[in-house]
Amino acid sequence: MFKLYSSLRKELLLLLNDKVGLTLMFLMPLLLVFIITIIQDSAYKMVNENQIPLLVVNQDEGKEGVKLVDLLKKSGLFKIDSQDGIPQESLKSELLARGKMIALYIPATFSAGLESNAEDVSSILMDDLGLEHDTTAREKVSMPRLAFYNDPVLQENYSYSVMSVIQSYMSVIENSLMIDRMYANMDIAERSAKLKDKMISNRVGIDQIVARNNNSTAIPNSTQHNVPAWTIFAMFFMVVSLGSNIVKERVNGSFLRLKTMPTTFMVVMFSKMAVYVVVAALQVALTFSMGIWILPKLGLPKLSVPDNVVATIAVIFISSMAAVSYALMIGAFAKTEQQANGFGAISIIIFGAIGGILVPTFVMPGFMQFFSNFSPLHWCLEGFYVLFLKGGSWQDLRAVFAFLGIFIVFCQLGTYFKLRLERII
Amino acid sequence: MTDNVCIEVREVYKRYKSAQEDSLSDVSLDVVQSDVFGLLGPNGAGKTTLISILCGIIPVSSGNVRFFGNGTPYSDYERKSRVGFVPQEYAFYQELTPRQNLDYFGAMYNLSKTRLEERREHLLEVLGLEKAGDKKVGTFSGGMKRRVNLAIGIIHEPDILFLDEPTVGVDVQSRNAIIRYLQQLNEGGTTIIYTSHHMSEAEEFCKNIALIDHGKVIAAGDLQALKTAHGVDNLQTLFINLTGEEYRD
Repeated sequence: MFKLYSSLRKELLLLLNDKVGLTLMFLMPLLLVFIITIIQDSAYKMVNENQIPLLVVNQDEGKEGVKLVDLLKKSGLFKIDSQDGIPQESLKSELLARGKMIALYIPATFSAGLESNAEDVSSILMDDLGLEHDTTAREKVSMPRLAFYNDPVLQENYSYSVMSVIQSYMSVIENSLMIDRMYANMDIAERSAKLKDKMISNRVGIDQIVARNNNSTAIPNSTQHNVPAWTIFAMFFMVVSLGSNIVKERVNGSFLRLKTMPTTFMVVMFSKMAVYVVVAALQVALTFSMGIWILPKLGLPKLSVPDNVVATIAVIFISSMAAVSYALMIGAFAKTEQQANGFGAISIIIFGAIGGILVPTFVMPGFMQFFSNFSPLHWCLEGFYVLFLKGGSWQDLRAVFAFLGIFIVFCQLGTYFKLRLERII
Repeated sequence: MTDNVCIEVREVYKRYKSAQEDSLSDVSLDVVQSDVFGLLGPNGAGKTTLISILCGIIPVSSGNVRFFGNGTPYSDYERKSRVGFVPQEYAFYQELTPRQNLDYFGAMYNLSKTRLEERREHLLEVLGLEKAGDKKVGTFSGGMKRRVNLAIGIIHEPDILFLDEPTVGVDVQSRNAIIRYLQQLNEGGTTIIYTSHHMSEAEEFCKNIALIDHGKVIAAGDLQALKTAHGVDNLQTLFINLTGEEYRD
């Protein structure tokens, strides 16, 4: 026992002396969780709560352009800056010069084009119904096109969201015009209001229901997503401390010296694993505490801890073991500390990227979704999401335990055979 | 094996994987108890390979090594408890203090807490490290690091001590302190097997030597007798006469 105690003490002292490693392991997860949660929360609020700044140039000679601008204003989603005097040719430069992210250009023939199209639709309907209508030839104006300008730094999905909103208001205007034209052709123009109201205001609503397996009250939000995700990311970053620690011991001959001593190498490896599993558990405790107590004080959503505490502890343990085992393997294979640090850190970023830490796996192309199965971070994240977001049970965690178990065995065997090849064990 | 022979090496061969030649070829020698035995030779001669085999770090390709005259296999737990090893590298933790290093390695040698504390303080004192005992080893001079390296190898009071270049890269004061303490250990009955490139140091320190070159023992026995047999008055001349003057890689 004294041997084990001394070995644990040595690992702890080495860890406490590794200031860079400690900073990476404890400060980084806090910063990551803090920064990413704030950023994602503000992005959510920007789309849902704040008004989007929109530069509008309305050169329409009719009244439909004004209607569209009014609808956009009334929606409350946009903060509209109307600058009708800006010619389309200089709109790109004006957008960038004014520091706006998006602009909408309404062309001069906007109303005329829409009215012409409504007239065509109405005529077809009248003809099909065999009803008489005014067949006086009118000037045909082609369907207008709105121009949507966006700053190149604006994310594509954000632009698409704004365009969808504009598109839905366009549907309102187009439908309204068509109803007006049809009623006018039937000489009952004064009655169109009732139908328009029915068609426009009575639309199918959508209820959002979060698919969960139990009665968990946890609400998916930036905290529920980011705290577990970035904790796992930081947990695997122990590769920098533990990996380089092992390289040092291999390279400086400490491991070989131990081979000349009446002790088993298992004591050394067990001590390393035990200390770093405790470190990982502390990382989790620290970041989760921040999610529970500090983030709400900053106006961010509170982290809801899963009801199944035992399963949560089991997922934390197996994730920690996966991180420790990976760090041991990197330490066993790297020839220098620089290799361990560089390869270790980059591989964790890659594992994080394909594992769904940086962007969700469901938005990835099919082949990348396949590769995400080979990322231990993906399975750790899946384990946390099953508990934190889906209210899952032990049954739902079977794949997580199976994959991480295989990964741990693979890393441990890799470490064992490499150290054996070097005659350290 | 005679009673006072504590290490018997017989027809040992060693060839590393993928190597074209043997690193050790037909090496046989005896080290008697309480001897200071010098394993000397140019770079790449096979000294470190032989020491590594004797310490149980690497296995022989063929041949036998016996300790303490009782036929115990060299990887035996008891042998490890009675043998000390001081490698050429600073094989310890530079981030820890000498006390913390000695505590760790002493525990790995199965010393009890009380005995470990006694030995630790004794070694820090006799090796002039008492004042620096709580400072990180990484901040030490080369000489101080060598003394820490030595202290770890002898914390358990071994019967046999292997030293691979124990004084390389240190100043005269540290070298003298190390050699003086090793002589004291030897006077106390510790058998020392030692490699070095310092011929004058080896000449002063060793009673018996084995000269190794290209993996073979080219001369072995009592140092004085070897000098007389080859008609030379110092070890350096004997070394040059037997190993030649060409560069070694």
